[in-house]
Amino acid sequence: MAISKTDIEKLAWLVRLSFSDEELERFTAEFDEIIAFADTINQSIEGGTEQIRSVGARMVSFDELRSDEVAPSLSNEKILSNVEGYNGFFSLERSRK
Amino acid sequence: MNYEIVCGIETHIELATKTKIFCGCTTEFGGEPNTHCCPVCTGQPGSLPILNQKVVEYAVKAGLALNCKINTRSHMDRKNYVYPDLPKAYQISQYDEPLCEKGYIELDSGKRIGITRIHIEEDAGKLVHENGYTYIDYNRSGVPLIEIVSEPDISSAEEAKEYAEKLQLTMRYIGISDCKMQEGSMRCDVNLSLRKPGDTKFGVRTEIKNINSLSFIQKAIVAEAERQADILEAGGTIVQQTMRYDEKTDSVAPMRDKENSDDYRYFPDPDILRFSIDEEKVEEIRASLPELPFDKLKRYMNVLGLPEATAKLIFRYRKVAEFFQGALAEGASVKNAANLIVGAIFSNMDTEEEKELFDIRISAAQFAALVKLADEKKINIGVAQGTLQKMLESGKPAEEFIKPEDLAGISDETLERLCREAIDANPRAADDVRSGKDKAINVMFGYIMKKTGGKADIRKAEALLRKLIGS
Repeated sequence: MAISKTDIEKLAWLVRLSFSDEELERFTAEFDEIIAFADTINQSIEGGTEQIRSVGARMVSFDELRSDEVAPSLSNEKILSNVEGYNGFFSLERSRK
Repeated sequence: MNYEIVCGIETHIELATKTKIFCGCTTEFGGEPNTHCCPVCTGQPGSLPILNQKVVEYAVKAGLALNCKINTRSHMDRKNYVYPDLPKAYQISQYDEPLCEKGYIELDSGKRIGITRIHIEEDAGKLVHENGYTYIDYNRSGVPLIEIVSEPDISSAEEAKEYAEKLQLTMRYIGISDCKMQEGSMRCDVNLSLRKPGDTKFGVRTEIKNINSLSFIQKAIVAEAERQADILEAGGTIVQQTMRYDEKTDSVAPMRDKENSDDYRYFPDPDILRFSIDEEKVEEIRASLPELPFDKLKRYMNVLGLPEATAKLIFRYRKVAEFFQGALAEGASVKNAANLIVGAIFSNMDTEEEKELFDIRISAAQFAALVKLADEKKINIGVAQGTLQKMLESGKPAEEFIKPEDLAGISDETLERLCREAIDANPRAADDVRSGKDKAINVMFGYIMKKTGGKADIRKAEALLRKLIGS
């Protein structure tokens, strides 16, 4: 297997998620399938995914970059409309360090 | 200590653009929380970051000023880590194709500290931890930064301070950032390890994060080098970790486990197109650079003949240097212009910030007109100083304040009479001067200056007094 349980544990730690043992087993197997699928795609393209990136990506020139002009921001109400805000801040209960 | 310091510095500098790196939100400091935000800088799904041209221009300016090679093709990468200050759970940064590489900063000793790379990236939001909650303000999220990474060429706390100081001055000069360490627009991370002299292999390093003053850089290095030396002397080993410098206790303590760079899982950001900057544009930016600060310092000393101390006081503030040069262009003499700036104008400016801003009410031409009166000996330097103060207070030109009697000065006969009076009025001081206590002559200067309203030529007065006293 390309992906081990330890890999999944490490990834879970990096993204601050916790899994039960049973979930870990399941995710390890699923992740392995996903990676295998990506490998299949990669092998079917001459030059691999690097090739896709360099062929497909257009290069923009300096002059085409965004000019430094201020555009209106959203209101505080709008920014916080999907969350529970506190005094204009986003607020989070501290569950993990 | 039988160890050699091996130190490199990573410096984050906030660029003084009007808008954020990937959206049009303002970068203005402060503001009510989460009012300088939009879907891009709060990482909303479906939003599209578009690179700000000014950020690339400023980073290239920084690169050129630090003798770097400019990469004409570059791209942005995602640096993944999960922390609430980062709404997307990744920071858009640069990994394997930074804009600038392989530069250096030259120290006064002639030693060059290599610059490994300069890349552009976005700043994170601000977190406030209180009562078991974390409150987040994303106003700063997406503010453009450059990260300047030095080679581990620094071998003492003094060299580190000089490196950071020169970097700060250069960045201010080219106008890409105000580099205020207290306000966080310049922050330094110091990587440090020790090794035995002659060793070619590096020891295990620690990283001291977010140092916010030049003197703390120096102190933190001394404290960390001592801590590591104590461990090594006792036969222990250094643990690679992130440290924090505490200025109150002047000590360093661990922050959190250092993540390996692999853990950031960098990959090219598929939302942002690769970009190019052609040689012609790079040369155009190079041509727009002002004379760099340390080239200016050398010129002030070697070409203009200013004493080192005076040259150093003037060159370090870009606006002061411009004012000084403006006065020279109007025909003022180097010596009198420099002395009046340092002696009179600076006496109204207590802080570094005031000198940096140099917000004064007179033009370089008005200043030059006054300096020229002193150059032509139409007024003495005391009158020039007094007049300058009045000009600074009112914003009016010199001729408003200079009276005909100022222009005439004090006649030689009057000066001699006043010197005799000064000696008669201060017999003990005169005796003191005779017996070699030179400072006692100041008492008589005081008398003469008071009588003439500061208009007497002090050098002439001194020569006369000495002649009359016979010292």
